Amino acid sequence: MKLHRIGAVIVRHGYEARHNLDRVTDTLYWPIMDIIVWGFFTLYLAGSNRLQPGLMSLLLGGVILWGMFRSFQRDMAVGFLAELWSHNLINLFSTPLTVSEYVTGLIAVNLIKALLGTLAAALIAWLCYSFNVFPIFPALIPFMFNLILFGLAVGLIITGLIFRYTMRIQGLTWSFTGLLMPLSCVFYPVRSLPPLLRWLALTLPTSHAFEGMRQAIAGRGFSITHFVCGAALNAVYLVIALIFFRLMFASAQSHGLLVKIE
Amino acid sequence: MLAMRQDGDWNSVHRLSDHPAARVVEAEHLSKTFGSFKAVDDLSFSVREGEFIGIIGPNGAGKTTTIHMLLGLITPSAGTIRIFGRSPARDRDYILQKTSFASPYLSFPPRLTVYENLSVFARLYGIRDRAAQVSRYMKVFRIEYLRDKPVARLSSGEATRLALCRALLNRPRLLLLDEPTAFLDAPSALEVKKILLDLQRTSRTTIIYTSHNLLEVEEMCERVMILSRGRMIASGTPVEVTQTILQEERTEPALLEAFLRIG
Repeated sequence: MKLHRIGAVIVRHGYEARHNLDRVTDTLYWPIMDIIVWGFFTLYLAGSNRLQPGLMSLLLGGVILWGMFRSFQRDMAVGFLAELWSHNLINLFSTPLTVSEYVTGLIAVNLIKALLGTLAAALIAWLCYSFNVFPIFPALIPFMFNLILFGLAVGLIITGLIFRYTMRIQGLTWSFTGLLMPLSCVFYPVRSLPPLLRWLALTLPTSHAFEGMRQAIAGRGFSITHFVCGAALNAVYLVIALIFFRLMFASAQSHGLLVKIE
Repeated sequence: MLAMRQDGDWNSVHRLSDHPAARVVEAEHLSKTFGSFKAVDDLSFSVREGEFIGIIGPNGAGKTTTIHMLLGLITPSAGTIRIFGRSPARDRDYILQKTSFASPYLSFPPRLTVYENLSVFARLYGIRDRAAQVSRYMKVFRIEYLRDKPVARLSSGEATRLALCRALLNRPRLLLLDEPTAFLDAPSALEVKKILLDLQRTSRTTIIYTSHNLLEVEEMCERVMILSRGRMIASGTPVEVTQTILQEERTEPALLEAFLRIG
């Protein structure tokens, strides 16, 4: 991997962000809208005494972290889609740029975007709803790290599918996280699920991240168990995602889809 | 230039420029099948350093697929490719650092300006004097005035000149061009042809060129390969190819006539 080529990918998406309002919207608009809507909802519940103490923090914490996961996963796939939409993929891959370098550049760009969105949402939660996530931030960072890794794995799988099955299935970019949400237990504990689904939920790094987040927000400290389980699952999912992505890319090259995909 | 082997065998007389070291591209028994459709069928050819070669043929003849295989964008179903004596699968970085490609059918991120797009590609090639190199080629293709214009607002001719400008940024030793003058008006096409011929003469850049403009191919290419249904049906100088296809003595090339004959 060559640093100057990774840098070129970062610069390319930096220029895009400068000119394309959609990219700014993706980064800030949805995290801010989510936190505002959920903030009002939790205020309403708190005002009508329907909310247990501390539950507001758990809901807002869930909104912030889920927003980060969703935007990172989406932006990984959108990064590739942007090249397809602009018919630039062949231009890029007829240079020495490798897929690994392109993905690494995208990770760096999307990490910045996801953190900006998370920071904006956390600030609004603090200023408007008195939910200050910053003191417990250090305990949340390992779980955020796991969410980012899983977002990367999901993003790679969706991008691999787009390479192989073309833009007919690009809708997955925006809808796939919706499928994961019920089992990720963003707003409720894993134990509240039926027993069979509970086992399924525990195979997702996201459910471990949100269990760990709830423990941290409730003041019960950092859950090493949920962190290690999430990290181990991520290792498995990432290896599968990388192999899957490579196979799909090779298959697209073989079927001539890389040049016809547009 | 001719040379005789040291064993004195005159039957083995060969061109020095045919020596393997001087061959920039070597394709042997190259095939590409998509399902039951044979896009390229058992194609073998080599291109020497500094040669300007045209690939012509009807739509669907396999010209673009061949170029995409040379670039590693499509994996061949069979056969081998060597560029600069190396395998694209193993030495992709080495090969693509010295190779470039342009096609008017591709585009660039539309919201980025001309300069921004060129700057990204200059970074991809690791060009040190990036700004100077970008400005130099913008001047060559007379697109300095478009520097801060978003690509989305370029005419097709301007976009073609941008694509060619980007293709020369890395000072390629091998330049693959897919119908580069397709969207250009006559004066712009003439200008581009001059630039390419100058590049070939001064830098000994090897150029492989596909086109439907047969007069242009006659003027520019030392050697022509005619493809039809994925197979090479003739190869040689424009006059040789004309003679092969028309089966008669000719002193002037007549590629259009030959082209009409193959249907």
